[in-house]
Amino acid sequence: MTITADGIYKSFNGFPALRGVNLSASRGEFVALLGPSGSGKTTLLRILAGLEFADSGRLLFNGRDVASQGAGERNVGFVFQHYALFKHMTVAENVSFGLRVKPRDKRPPKAVIDKQVNELLRLVQLDRLGDRYPSQLSGGQRQRVALARALAIQPAVLLLDEPFGALDAKVRKELRRWLRRLHDDMQLTSLFVTHDQEEALELADRIAVMSDGRIEQIGTPAEVYQRPATAFVYEFLGNANRLPCRIDRGRAMVGSLVLPAPEHPELRDATGVAFVRPHDLIIGDARAEGLEARVRQIFVAGPAIRVELALLANGEMLEAEVPHGSPAGELIAPDKLVTLTMTKIRAFPDAATA
Amino acid sequence: METQTAGPATAAKVRRATTESPLVRWALIATGMLFIALVLVLPLISVFMEALSGGFATFFQAVGNADTWQAVRLTLLVAAIAVPLNVVFGLAAAWAVAKFDFRGKSLLVTLIDLPFSVSPVISGLIYVLLYGANGWFGPALKELDIKIIFNVTGLVLATVFVTFPFVARELIPLMQEQGRDEEEAAISLGASGWRTFWYVTLPNVAWGLLYGVLLCNARAMGEFGAVSVVSGHIRGLTNTMPLHVEILYNEYDFVGAFAVASLLAGLAIVTLVAKSLLEWRYGDRLAGGRKH
Ligand SMILES: Nc1ncnc2c1ncn2[C@@H]1O[C@H](COP(=O)(O)OP(=O)(O)OP(=O)(O)O)[C@@H](O)[C@H]1O
Ligand SMILES: [Mg+2]
Repeated sequence: MTITADGIYKSFNGFPALRGVNLSASRGEFVALLGPSGSGKTTLLRILAGLEFADSGRLLFNGRDVASQGAGERNVGFVFQHYALFKHMTVAENVSFGLRVKPRDKRPPKAVIDKQVNELLRLVQLDRLGDRYPSQLSGGQRQRVALARALAIQPAVLLLDEPFGALDAKVRKELRRWLRRLHDDMQLTSLFVTHDQEEALELADRIAVMSDGRIEQIGTPAEVYQRPATAFVYEFLGNANRLPCRIDRGRAMVGSLVLPAPEHPELRDATGVAFVRPHDLIIGDARAEGLEARVRQIFVAGPAIRVELALLANGEMLEAEVPHGSPAGELIAPDKLVTLTMTKIRAFPDAATA
Repeated sequence: METQTAGPATAAKVRRATTESPLVRWALIATGMLFIALVLVLPLISVFMEALSGGFATFFQAVGNADTWQAVRLTLLVAAIAVPLNVVFGLAAAWAVAKFDFRGKSLLVTLIDLPFSVSPVISGLIYVLLYGANGWFGPALKELDIKIIFNVTGLVLATVFVTFPFVARELIPLMQEQGRDEEEAAISLGASGWRTFWYVTLPNVAWGLLYGVLLCNARAMGEFGAVSVVSGHIRGLTNTMPLHVEILYNEYDFVGAFAVASLLAGLAIVTLVAKSLLEWRYGDRLAGGRKH
């Protein structure tokens, strides 16, 4: 199933939750909707599912307009953020619900339903818990029941609203890999909401970064991570230090440093911000060329040493990452004066940062 | 707070975080029990004692009286009409209030409460004013030969009005608390609106509904004020049990009055037992929902 959303606009009591969203997902694709709280991810997902209706814009499934179709007719599997399991039904009854409520002429016989439910429960590894009630399950188990229930109607599209939100880090990781395999095996078209960028980068074929009711950028994880289209995307995907700069003919001036900014050959002496990732900040000896800074705090636990530094020029705090055992590690000690240089930055002129 | 060392000796002694000291617990339980004994059990016992004070023969004579039986039948009939009507209305109103946003919602909620805030006597008088011989629609109704006041129809109307809020009031907060998530899940799985209501919404509020029905029923059978105004106290025709009790009492037939009163109390006890049986039988099934 291909999904195309075209200029979707939606407001709640005059408050615009979505302001012209364009999005498409082709068959077999796994798309992540990533964005901060309140950016409209859930609203977009609900509109795709038919639980909410757009004020304007077109929504096509396989090229056919589905705007007039209700949620039940779209054949969409929806996994709710808080599962929304039927609490008075057993796990097996939850999973079979979508089959049991089909119109009489389309409803499979009971034996077939039972067989499918058993298969689904095996698929989500809950085959022995069919008689339990949702209140007797753990969070991860409930999550999988919700998924099995959504899959029972054999949807062509699977929509998941923060499917791993309530789970601990380890279970999250297992479940999301498992989900990705499931998606591939069943050849679904899936969209899932998350505000965990690591999850989106690891899991998705493409990521749509949302902010304020709009999609800022959509692309493969590599594209959005390495070539963020806007300052917002850069900051949202991974840690970033923000430094004021001037951009002039493809170069960015950060303090005394002159760095390449090939994206802006046309700009003449414009003000802007330069972003630099913590691992792209290079710490050097105090006498070397660069921005002078003082070491404030050092965190040695973790895969790399994290250093917090204050720029002498304006007191701005920066974060750098130094691999364990590298020569730069020798230079850092609390309150020590160092210089900073950088190889890779990304500069955005001010208008684009707003 | 005493601290407990983890070990085999104390492990068996599981304590709850909310537990009070034995003295406080004992005092609370005793107060509750005493209160129940004074205002509930004692009067109930006295009703039965008084009813049986002339021996079983007199009791059965009073109960077996044709007028009494008519009152029992009428009371059951009125309840049998009023309760289902209010169940349907209460479900519809609660569903509308809890699951949809619409103009005039708060007005509807206020109106649902209206019967609680006016005296039952006034509730009865309203109907006399509307449908009585000299009321607004009186002449028109006379023309059509429809009798509402001093008739079973009037009794049913007044009872419906008075017991109007019980089911809706019980269900609205329950449905509001449960939100729309499960309904949305059902709809997206392809269930029709009716199936969603029947398989998802109704089971989720089953206990609240049962409780609302019990309250509604108790009030429908026991209502005095509103019913008294529209009934006209025609013996053997428009006398419900509470009205009959009063008539007998005013005629100094104390044994008769208490005998009928004990029947009324018996009906209440039967409904409570029925509720407990249902809870016992279906408790597991509905454990997910809310119990009273
Ligand atoms: N039913 C509603 N009525 C009014 N405003 C709403 C409604 N639903 C969403 N909004 C508003 O629309 C905006 C987008 O909400 P949405 O739930 O889509 O955000 P989100 O990206 O899913 O956020 P989160 O990550 O916190 O779940 C928010 O500002 C929210 O307050
Ligand atoms: Mg959300």
